[in-house]
Amino acid sequence: MAEQPLDLSATIAEQPLELESSPSASPPGEEENEGEESLGKLVADSSFEKGRHVMFLQMMYQILPHHYQSQEINRLTLAYFAISGLDIVGSLDTVDKDEVASWVLSFRTHPEDIAEINCGEFYGFNGSRSSQYPSDDAGVVSGNHSHLASTYCALAILKIVGYNLSNIDWRPLLMTMRNLQKPDGSFSPIHIGAETDLRFIYCAAAICFMLDDWSGMDRDKATEYILKCKAYDGGFGMTPGAESHGGGTYCAVASLQLMGSIGVDLFSSSASSSILDIPLLLEWCLQRQASDGGFQGRSNKPSDTCYAFWVGAVLKILGAGKLIDEKALRGFLLTCQSEYGGFSKFPDELPDLYHSYYGFIAFGLLEEPGLNSICVELGITDAAALRK
Amino acid sequence: MHGRPRKPLKPVDEAAVAAKAEKLRALQSEFLSNHQNKIYSKEAVELSAKLLEINPELYTAWNYRKLAVQQNLAQCESDPESVNSILNEELKVVENALRQNFKSYGAWHHRKWVLEKGHSSMDKELGLLDKFQAMDARNFHAWNYRRFVAALMKRSDEDELEHTQNMIDKNLSNYSAWHNRSVLLSNLMKKAAPGFTNKDEVLTREYELVREALFTDEDDQSGWFYHLWLLDQTVRSEFPLLVSSWPVEGSDISLPAADYLDGCASMNVFHYSSRNFPLVLYFNQYVRGVNSSTVSVSCGFNLNADLIWRPLSSNDSQSAKVWATHLAIPDAELHSSEAYQVEVKVGFSLGIVSTTGVAYSHPSQISFQLHLQKAPLESGQDSRFGRIQWKDDCFAVYEPGSVEPDLVNLLDNLTIKNEVESTASTWQARIIDDETNIFRDLLDCKIGKLTVARLLTSYNSLRPLDKPVHCKEVLELYSELMKLDPSHYRYYKDNHSLVLLQQVTSSKESLLSRCFHYRDSTLSTNGGPLCLRLNNLAISQLGSFEKLLWVQMLDLSNNELQSIEGLEALQLLSQLCLSNNKFRSFTALESLRCLKSLKVLDISQNEIGSHSIDTTRYLFHSPLSHSVGSCDWNINYLSSKTYWEAFFVLKDMGLTQLDVAGNAITSQSFNVFLEKLLPTLKWLDGVEVN
Repeated sequence: MAEQPLDLSATIAEQPLELESSPSASPPGEEENEGEESLGKLVADSSFEKGRHVMFLQMMYQILPHHYQSQEINRLTLAYFAISGLDIVGSLDTVDKDEVASWVLSFRTHPEDIAEINCGEFYGFNGSRSSQYPSDDAGVVSGNHSHLASTYCALAILKIVGYNLSNIDWRPLLMTMRNLQKPDGSFSPIHIGAETDLRFIYCAAAICFMLDDWSGMDRDKATEYILKCKAYDGGFGMTPGAESHGGGTYCAVASLQLMGSIGVDLFSSSASSSILDIPLLLEWCLQRQASDGGFQGRSNKPSDTCYAFWVGAVLKILGAGKLIDEKALRGFLLTCQSEYGGFSKFPDELPDLYHSYYGFIAFGLLEEPGLNSICVELGITDAAALRK
Repeated sequence: MHGRPRKPLKPVDEAAVAAKAEKLRALQSEFLSNHQNKIYSKEAVELSAKLLEINPELYTAWNYRKLAVQQNLAQCESDPESVNSILNEELKVVENALRQNFKSYGAWHHRKWVLEKGHSSMDKELGLLDKFQAMDARNFHAWNYRRFVAALMKRSDEDELEHTQNMIDKNLSNYSAWHNRSVLLSNLMKKAAPGFTNKDEVLTREYELVREALFTDEDDQSGWFYHLWLLDQTVRSEFPLLVSSWPVEGSDISLPAADYLDGCASMNVFHYSSRNFPLVLYFNQYVRGVNSSTVSVSCGFNLNADLIWRPLSSNDSQSAKVWATHLAIPDAELHSSEAYQVEVKVGFSLGIVSTTGVAYSHPSQISFQLHLQKAPLESGQDSRFGRIQWKDDCFAVYEPGSVEPDLVNLLDNLTIKNEVESTASTWQARIIDDETNIFRDLLDCKIGKLTVARLLTSYNSLRPLDKPVHCKEVLELYSELMKLDPSHYRYYKDNHSLVLLQQVTSSKESLLSRCFHYRDSTLSTNGGPLCLRLNNLAISQLGSFEKLLWVQMLDLSNNELQSIEGLEALQLLSQLCLSNNKFRSFTALESLRCLKSLKVLDISQNEIGSHSIDTTRYLFHSPLSHSVGSCDWNINYLSSKTYWEAFFVLKDMGLTQLDVAGNAITSQSFNVFLEKLLPTLKWLDGVEVN
């Protein structure tokens, strides 16, 4: 149980973990047999079980079950889920902020000299130790597999733990981020090349926004690409021509908002906005709320916890949050709430960190009492977003 | 991790798990060492394949393989056999990885990378796709890959359209197939491929296809979205057109020679300063390029400078549906009492373009007369010190004859006649008529009701000059939907509001039935300014602004409004009552910033300040942000950031009367703040300001 998949997995903040043998710390994924019976009755009169979620997150912060083995390479992302989750539920004080900050910064890559800035690589953050070459005898880490998503998560965590971002000269990061932007405006997440789609435009926009410096990307080009991803039904696919998708639509609308390409509260205008087809987009988003109250990512797909945020956030950004049937959504999310804390993708399944995080942030979006308010465009709390 | 079905749990064999992790760890560190040392030997490359087979998420390993392929291809010097075998190996590794996780972005991307090298064949790739699409007909990776292969290997759009047809025939609920159909069809229509040149025919064919799906399973969303898209394709106006303007064509307007009639002028005398006479152009869609070269204004007096046209929108965008400028009438002219003919020519020279790039190509001309009144009309009625009260007993029913006939005539001509529209809309109207008749059979389900409501609304939008028909039926449909489908109550409510406003503004009679004379004890009983009262309508959304450009006094109290966006088009507005609505913040009133003539504002009895502060606004409009532009206000003067929104919206407004009572934000210090912010204020919450 709670197997450490790789040498690096000890904890998100790399504290050695010796808790596996204690039953109280066993990951929720392991105890379905006992849990199954009580899930049904828990749902009927349930509410947001904050205490359990805090426990779940603290557990995830300290140890990850072996199911996350395949996600090892995205360790910073997992850390973002755990730490931002703790921030949302108001338990950030259980985290050693300095330790987290220095752990995150240990993934940062630097060009060795100015010449390297122009060599086409991107100097951001590696996703995990397993994409980082071992350090040499002098402790210097060489090699660079910086990834945009990891970089977004790293900066988000740093903001959450209150690290003063102005301690660091981010210009090399921003200058080299430009190397990732393709002529069509899209971003590759990594300089050697990988799929380009809206997810990485979003990462780039969020990075520039958090660093308050837009020299890292060509916003006009990015806007152009985003608009090409608009599908016939008003939503956005991940790439031009692709089917509308909750995640793609979030990336599109949140990026446009962060880049200042659209105004706030667009929905209130009965007319179409200058670049978005608001009535259609609104229709698409609203129809994602299914009869069980949850949101689906695409038409005719089952409701899934995470789309409560992806689609709910789009509605919020458009100023149409009031059109969400909040009661029904809350009802659906609670059927995905695990009695061990955390949320699952579908009702009555076992929780995982990803869906748990989007469950928490969705409740934040619904202004659940006791949760910190959410900056939906950045995917972190308002308090973290506003921190300089 | 996301979206993969969780396997049923077996009792955990701890030893096996530990052994697996150990093996992974060993592979991983060996792989990293190869990567670092640029070792691309057969063994090293095989090791990365093993790793990827276990975990396709490991993008570092995919990237390593790309480097290895490049290196190895360079070495084999384009010996076709070696090239083939190297690239085939990559395809095999991808297939194995996809078997492990067919949602692996890295694996799909690697395959695209190989194909871009000119490897593989269309048959092979389409065969592979058939396999994956049979497993999951909605897998969007597979659909994306399909579009990639079709484009790379130049498969015709017609063939792909046929494929979507097959997929739809197999399963009418395959939304992905419907989506792809919309993409292909748009392409084919855009390039006018043979068989796709006649929009009428193409759309009619598609309506038939989707009808089958809708009548098979009315609860399935796939067809309904496709139907909605078809409807949009049918009614969407491709050309930018001028919908309405202020002043209205043929109008005759008297202006006071001086501007001391602020507040209460009789209706035919416009109260704004003659130095600041607004011209407003209202288009059917967002356009850019409205300026003094695309719009020419000629009049009997000299305009000493080029007119500056401003887009009326709350964001800084350079495109808008509504554009305004102000005519400044030179002082010398003010002493004459001549009538001046003003002509506004829109789009006679090119440059006005829609956001989709379609040029404005139907020039319009608006002519009207300006009379300069030498003497003030209603002397002794310097109303600046009279307080406007929005009480029912201050409003008297409009009496025919008491308002100058020219206003009444104006109300008949609020919409500009565009010939193109009436001729082009015949086939659209026919399609919509047919569809309406067909879907009346589905009125027992909610989506049927919604579709009929939309069809009827679309029908009206095709004929902007005609009186809207079926309004009553549409309103009933939305009322039923609000009851039947409470999850989307607010959405139906907003639509209901828009149709209601269309109905109210649809004719002169209907507008006049909501016009009242404002009069209070200080005013003579005769006449009095005309107020359009849209109060107590339970509307949650505003619309039909193009019919309201003439309004100077507007009562929107006792509704359910949360925003007034769009109201900025009403450039003449000088008195506005928004009390007893549901405004939650000053940001919801941002449109007020564009209403330079506004003097009297009532926002009392709302919810401003009672909700948690929407900090996203602060991210964009905070005192620390540069987006607001330079501001010469001493920030320290703001007692706290709490009032920043109020500052942002109200600053620079020349309000003489403001009512804010009954909002959570109000307090003694807020009133002090308002008095400082608005030096022109005479009345605050009914109390005279010193």
